[in-house]
Amino acid sequence: MTKKKISFKSVSITTITIILLVISLFPFYYLIVQSFTPWDKVDKVLAPTEFTLRSYEYLIGKGGTSNSTMWVKALFNSFIVAFPTAIISVAVGLAIGYSVSKLKFKGEKTIMNTLLFQMFFPAIILLVPRYMIAKPLANTYAGMIIPMCISIWAIFMYINYFKTIPNEMFEAAKIDGASDLKILWKIALPITKSVTTIVFLSIFMQRWCELMWDMLVAPDIKMQTLNVLISTQFKPMGSFPGPMYAASVILTLPIIILFLCFSKYFKEGISFMLK
Amino acid sequence: MKKKVKSTSSRSNLVGWLLNGPYLIYSVIFFLIPLVWAAWLSLMDWNLMSKNKKFVGLANFKALFSDEKVKAAFINSYRYLLPIVVLCFLCGLVIALLVSKLPDKIKGFVAVLFFIPYLTSGVATSVVVKYFFNYNSVFNTFLREHFDLNINWLTDKRYAFAIMVGIVVWKMSGYYALFILSGIESIGTDVNEACALDGSKGFHKLIHVTLPMIMPTLTTVLVLATGLAFGIYTEPFLLTGGGPNLSTTSWQLEIYNTSFTRFQSGYGAAMAIANAVQIFVTLRIINFFTDKLNRKFGY
Repeated sequence: MTKKKISFKSVSITTITIILLVISLFPFYYLIVQSFTPWDKVDKVLAPTEFTLRSYEYLIGKGGTSNSTMWVKALFNSFIVAFPTAIISVAVGLAIGYSVSKLKFKGEKTIMNTLLFQMFFPAIILLVPRYMIAKPLANTYAGMIIPMCISIWAIFMYINYFKTIPNEMFEAAKIDGASDLKILWKIALPITKSVTTIVFLSIFMQRWCELMWDMLVAPDIKMQTLNVLISTQFKPMGSFPGPMYAASVILTLPIIILFLCFSKYFKEGISFMLK
Repeated sequence: MKKKVKSTSSRSNLVGWLLNGPYLIYSVIFFLIPLVWAAWLSLMDWNLMSKNKKFVGLANFKALFSDEKVKAAFINSYRYLLPIVVLCFLCGLVIALLVSKLPDKIKGFVAVLFFIPYLTSGVATSVVVKYFFNYNSVFNTFLREHFDLNINWLTDKRYAFAIMVGIVVWKMSGYYALFILSGIESIGTDVNEACALDGSKGFHKLIHVTLPMIMPTLTTVLVLATGLAFGIYTEPFLLTGGGPNLSTTSWQLEIYNTSFTRFQSGYGAAMAIANAVQIFVTLRIINFFTDKLNRKFGY
């Protein structure tokens, strides 16, 4: 497809693409515009007329009745919960992926069977008993992190990825006397960079956007994640949409920035997910 | 897994168990015990808090059949499944085809832009949707003033349901497009050259060459979208509460409400098991057909 002149075809492809992009990005535009709009104009305008930070100031406790620290604390909680969850998922996935595909140890079959068995059951079945088990940890970070910190999907991503790596890479290091932990850290982790990126980001995002579990296990307003806090404040504060928009912007931005920073690993990761 | 184990030294056994230990402990505490517990709970009449549980046998399961909410959740699963799978698939395909035709320089960037909706929390989406479709919003005012239309988007059965489906399709299409795009790009240049020689292009090429070539990718997308349709929760929870008249409710929402707001936790466990059975059977049926299709195209 060499393009010497602008053909009708390429113009129409570009036009349709732009139309679809506008549709899919419109909610973000609307969200951002409303978050900077004066409160009496929120939801009344499509394009920005005046610019104000009042909605954001409200969230940090200025010029409103809002609890001055709860929004900041919620953002902090979200990070405190999502970050370790993603790290643990990656670490566990890496360890199991490596040991199942490369280590040749006796329990390999047991692990695979447990994983396959577990994959078979949707998490909703486990909701009530998990809640009962985690109840002593209610309103703690541990209660939010530990029950959700292992992802079967992440483990299978690593198992499958390690299968594509030749054994020689690890055997050579073993002959040189490297310990397994050292091999994991120095060889396995760098090799799996693309999978690790995609697993880390996906788990981080999932955890960041989790609603049901966090509502159950951390109902205390000081422990709520930003996601939960918006959803609990969103109904009684129906008359103050501005801060809701601002909080939603803050909820959305970190994930988008994180993914954009690492977007070059995506393609590799996605094409691997299809194998 | 067919290769026979070559040599298992006691050292690698130890390391193996050490590396897998955390997962095994986790799966006992947060998977095996809850699983047995859930099965046991489903036979109980229990209100989540009290120490007393009454054994009621299969009464909970019997009650499922005459429960309006269960019926709605069951039927809604398929009402969600069909449009979500079809629309996600079509939109994903259209986006992937468009992006694959763009110049290489901007291809990746445009694909990422389409992918952004996937990254938003259902809560943020719900905030926008709720206010955007509010009575006094700029959108509804515009409709009233210019078209004399007065639509209660979230309290009218059809519109509320369409909005739920729309949110999911909007959110997921760009994500699935990445999969399909990756499939399209893995089609070799030899195939494309052969098509050019045979004069196969446009729609003909899409139906007879491209789609059959990416069959496994399409299967993946189908299975992912099915799982997604069964997991709908946040949007109906925040926007409609499952209503009006249970038209937008889902299993997840009903199980949550039954177990934690109506405190019928034994019954909730029975509902969750019914849900799992439905998911399992549905996936089997879909698998059966995609297997057939895949075999037909030689995979």
